[in-house]
Amino acid sequence: MTRFTSERVAAYTALGALGLLAGLALGRVEPVALAAPFLLAVVASALLGEKPEVSIRLELDRETALEGDDIVVLAEVSSRRAVARCELLLELPPELELEGSPVRALRLPAGEPQTVEFVLRCERWGAFRLGPLLLRTPDELGFRSWEGSGGSPQALRVYPREETLRSLVAPLETQVFAGNQVSRVRGEGIEFADLREWQPGDRVRRINWRASALRRSLWVNEQHPERNADVILFLDSFAEVRAGGRSTHDNAVRAAATLARRYLERRDRVGLIGFGGSLSWLLPQTGLRQHYAIVDVLLRSDIVHSYAQRGVDVLPPRTLPPKALVLALTPLLDDRSVTTLLDLRGRGYDLVVIEVSPLEAAAPAPGDPLELAYRLWRLSREAMRWQFEQIGVPVVSWRESAPLAAPLEEVSAFRHFARPA
Amino acid sequence: MAYGGAIAVALVRARFDRWLLVPGAAAGGLLLLAALVTGKRLLGVALALGGATFVAGAAGSGRSVDATAPLVAVLLLLCGELAGWSFDARLRIRADPGLGWRRAAATALLALVGLGVATLVVALSAAPPGHGLAWTAIGAAAAVAVAALGVTLARR
Repeated sequence: MTRFTSERVAAYTALGALGLLAGLALGRVEPVALAAPFLLAVVASALLGEKPEVSIRLELDRETALEGDDIVVLAEVSSRRAVARCELLLELPPELELEGSPVRALRLPAGEPQTVEFVLRCERWGAFRLGPLLLRTPDELGFRSWEGSGGSPQALRVYPREETLRSLVAPLETQVFAGNQVSRVRGEGIEFADLREWQPGDRVRRINWRASALRRSLWVNEQHPERNADVILFLDSFAEVRAGGRSTHDNAVRAAATLARRYLERRDRVGLIGFGGSLSWLLPQTGLRQHYAIVDVLLRSDIVHSYAQRGVDVLPPRTLPPKALVLALTPLLDDRSVTTLLDLRGRGYDLVVIEVSPLEAAAPAPGDPLELAYRLWRLSREAMRWQFEQIGVPVVSWRESAPLAAPLEEVSAFRHFARPA
Repeated sequence: MAYGGAIAVALVRARFDRWLLVPGAAAGGLLLLAALVTGKRLLGVALALGGATFVAGAAGSGRSVDATAPLVAVLLLLCGELAGWSFDARLRIRADPGLGWRRAAATALLALVGLGVATLVVALSAAPPGHGLAWTAIGAAAAVAVAALGVTLARR
């Protein structure tokens, strides 16, 4: 711990010395009398405020939380010697908000542990470390204080709050493993697809006796098999628009976490590509473990500004399996992301672009001189969307105020009317 | 209020000499400036100026010893302590209610002991100088005690 002395002690010392000198010089007792209480205060400051022996134990009521949840941090503080005043400061990242003052002051009786409770509100997702607590123990009059820190840091993970989704974007192509997705191909399954004439090797149970009786030859039912799909979440982290504490990247992470959970529930394999200043990826896997792995990568994702030219070629080949559905969550702000997405489509991937709209956050006030530039920017974005749509890629805009289900329904409608090649 | 009291005592003693009004007002202004803008930095200067105003007034009054000096000294000390407390209270701290009372009690105790010490200083000044072995011994012992105290405090 480090000892600090108040500026008042230096001032009182100077005043005392000045009074004594003035008394000597003037030959009067009044300056000495004036100096006496200040010198007494200096003596008191030296006698008070021994080095405390404070120990702190930090504890969280839980290690994981959702956005908007409240977390209780308990700090158990104890000291061998009595401490007149103990001030505790819990330093917090801006994503966590504390109810009331972040500094608590209490008296510590000797050998009696005291518990201080901090209630935090998790305003934004992320992985955090809380602690150590900053400690300050001034004496009774605030002349001298000891400052230090205590309590081992505690890990806290705040998961993004997920959206409610009833339906998902169906991939155009499925994989060979069993899943919940009705495949477009024909084979063994539940969903009826078509009738065809019997061929040697067809099982008897597949014969449609009614159709066979009508046509006087054997006809069999064909079904669509249930298969799983490979879904790649492409998270664009080159740039974001931030306004009022919310950003396009925050929303993209929320959407990615929601989509990952829902697709994994359907037994699809889900992978993740964080494409930006720092590159991150997860190979497609299935199961709960993959969900936590994806969320962990999402919690660490952040906007990293970079001038490096990046394209599909920097990604490991296994992160983008053939016939995968690529769901791109992007604000469409960086040309590198746009070029990469066009490149992915050019390589035959089933691409869906969910534009996390930056328009509302960047909109100027009416009458602002930037209004013209804003309109031009919107036009250029429209041109970009048109470019995607021309090659059969649905581009849907998601605003924070709207549910995520709305743009996904829009994708389904687009695919219904404009089936890509 | 404490500072106003100290300056008022000084001005009353000097019968509102206009030359003392200037440093008195300047000291008050400095204290106000310290309280509102600069924080603790100008506090010492304001207290020194207030003390100087009183000493000048006392010297100008023609009396050999001004008996109100201990009172003014304690008022100035209280002024410094309360100003320091108010500076500390500017930080948004959620404190146990008992802590405020403890600091108030400690401040009052310091002021009372300070008043006693200042009174003792003024009373001792009435002792006849250079008369008697006892006073000389007490003076020497006091000087040694002060030196020892200074060394002890410096080593802490």
